[in-house]
Amino acid sequence: MEESKKKLVEIWGDVVAIRSLVFAILFSSFSTMGAFFLAPVDDRSKQLFFGLAGALIGFVLSSIFIKPKRVIMKPSLQDEKNEEKPKQEVTN
Amino acid sequence: MDILLLSQMAIASLSAFLLYTFIGFIPGTDETSVLVPVSLALVLSGTPPIIILTFFISAIVTLNLTNAMPTALVGLPGGVLSSPMIEHALFLKNKGLSAVTIKKMAAGSLIGTLISIPVSLVVANLLAPYGTIIQPYAPLLFVIGAIFLSLIGKNKLLALLSIIPLALLFQSLRYLYWGMEVVPKDTTITTSFFLGITIGPLIISMFSLLTKEGQEAMLTDQPKLITLSKKTSGRQTLNPFKILTKSELKSASFAALVSNFFFVLSPVGLIILFGGAVGNRKKDLVEKATTSITTMSALAQSTYLSGIIIPLIALGIPLSPTSIGPGNALFNAPPVFTVDNNLHHLLSRSEFIWAILVGALIASTLSYLVINRYAEVISRFVLTKIPHEAVLGLFISFILLLAYMDAGLINIFGVLLIGIVCGSLNKMGVNYGIQFMTLYAAPWIIEKLAHL
Repeated sequence: MEESKKKLVEIWGDVVAIRSLVFAILFSSFSTMGAFFLAPVDDRSKQLFFGLAGALIGFVLSSIFIKPKRVIMKPSLQDEKNEEKPKQEVTN
Repeated sequence: MDILLLSQMAIASLSAFLLYTFIGFIPGTDETSVLVPVSLALVLSGTPPIIILTFFISAIVTLNLTNAMPTALVGLPGGVLSSPMIEHALFLKNKGLSAVTIKKMAAGSLIGTLISIPVSLVVANLLAPYGTIIQPYAPLLFVIGAIFLSLIGKNKLLALLSIIPLALLFQSLRYLYWGMEVVPKDTTITTSFFLGITIGPLIISMFSLLTKEGQEAMLTDQPKLITLSKKTSGRQTLNPFKILTKSELKSASFAALVSNFFFVLSPVGLIILFGGAVGNRKKDLVEKATTSITTMSALAQSTYLSGIIIPLIALGIPLSPTSIGPGNALFNAPPVFTVDNNLHHLLSRSEFIWAILVGALIASTLSYLVINRYAEVISRFVLTKIPHEAVLGLFISFILLLAYMDAGLINIFGVLLIGIVCGSLNKMGVNYGIQFMTLYAAPWIIEKLAHL
């Protein structure tokens, strides 16, 4: 586990850290199913709504706790004139 | 059409626009996975059918345009339909032409919507008399559909060979649940199986993270590098006819028109086929890319709209990849909708037209304006604030939720099994369309097979 802490992998077209991915999946799953079980047992649509709300909460909280593994570069002035020479702007 | 209902429809359309503008900008959000849970929730909560349709039309019109934004701005696919655009969008981006790309996408998308709505309504009306004749043959048509999609796909033989084993997998799980009394005998599980197919490739990718070789192949030592130009859209014209050249306008309109008649084919397939064809006729590289982008954006709208409108109005059974995939909940969402009692049976012809017009009008106008003005701002926000991990976590939770709701804990593993099998097949070239068709055809196939 120690080793995989900073391990970055490319999955589905974007980069994630394995540890954060595991966290996000566990966290969202718990919030989703947790909310689901709070809903009245006999009402299918309420269960679905509660579950979706839980998924949304999980999504928002994971977004707060996990930083995107993306580096946004700003194209330099020449770039506007068709040169590819990006310079770094934000680092996560 | 009274004012109260009309304003409810407007609100539904507006909510869909807001929700799917946000979702569309997030890279890698598969159309089906984001459309099905929400539309299913609306159906199950007892929302009036006309409101459901308005919401759905607005959702797909918004999503098809906003999904193209990550593609234009950073070269990541927003969804499945925008993946064919990547090559052209990246070429234009490297030329410093992102601003042009966005405008062309927005204008193309508008043209696609404008053309495909009247045309698909006409096609639906022409087909409607045959709807009742076709319906009893639905199971057989799904089999034919699966075979047909296999034959036009990449790996024909593999796809054909996979149909019966897949049908066997779906039916064996259903019979297992009935046998173990997990669900009553009259419940046929579809929704969660269907999402299992959708999420398959992701499950395979995640599973390969658990193997040493797989993990090493996916390891990377740096974050995703993204260039995002800052000031791309000024206060220029918003007139789509001025944004597009005559030849782009012609290509996009023609492709959008023709694609309506091919509503049974896969949208992404049509986009690659027609979009590539019109682009290849251009010699100038920039012109080739802009023509392809414009046409593909128009096609994204026209294939989805015709794929949902025609089967809904004329047939009542999901006989197109769009209706069997993202629009699944409009046709089949037990206990509210079934193949014998869904929007097709519940809405009158004029209600259909109202819902489609209100949904499309609000979504296309608003998304056109918002994209032209704020595409970079929204994109920057999403890219810096929304981690990919959260998106993947959200998908997994959707699946868990719907799998559990369908048939409890055992079905979570059932759906995982479907994901593993379908995901592996998908990676080998058996596309979603074939797998979805097989899911619907499975009862018929197994019934016939067992009594041969």
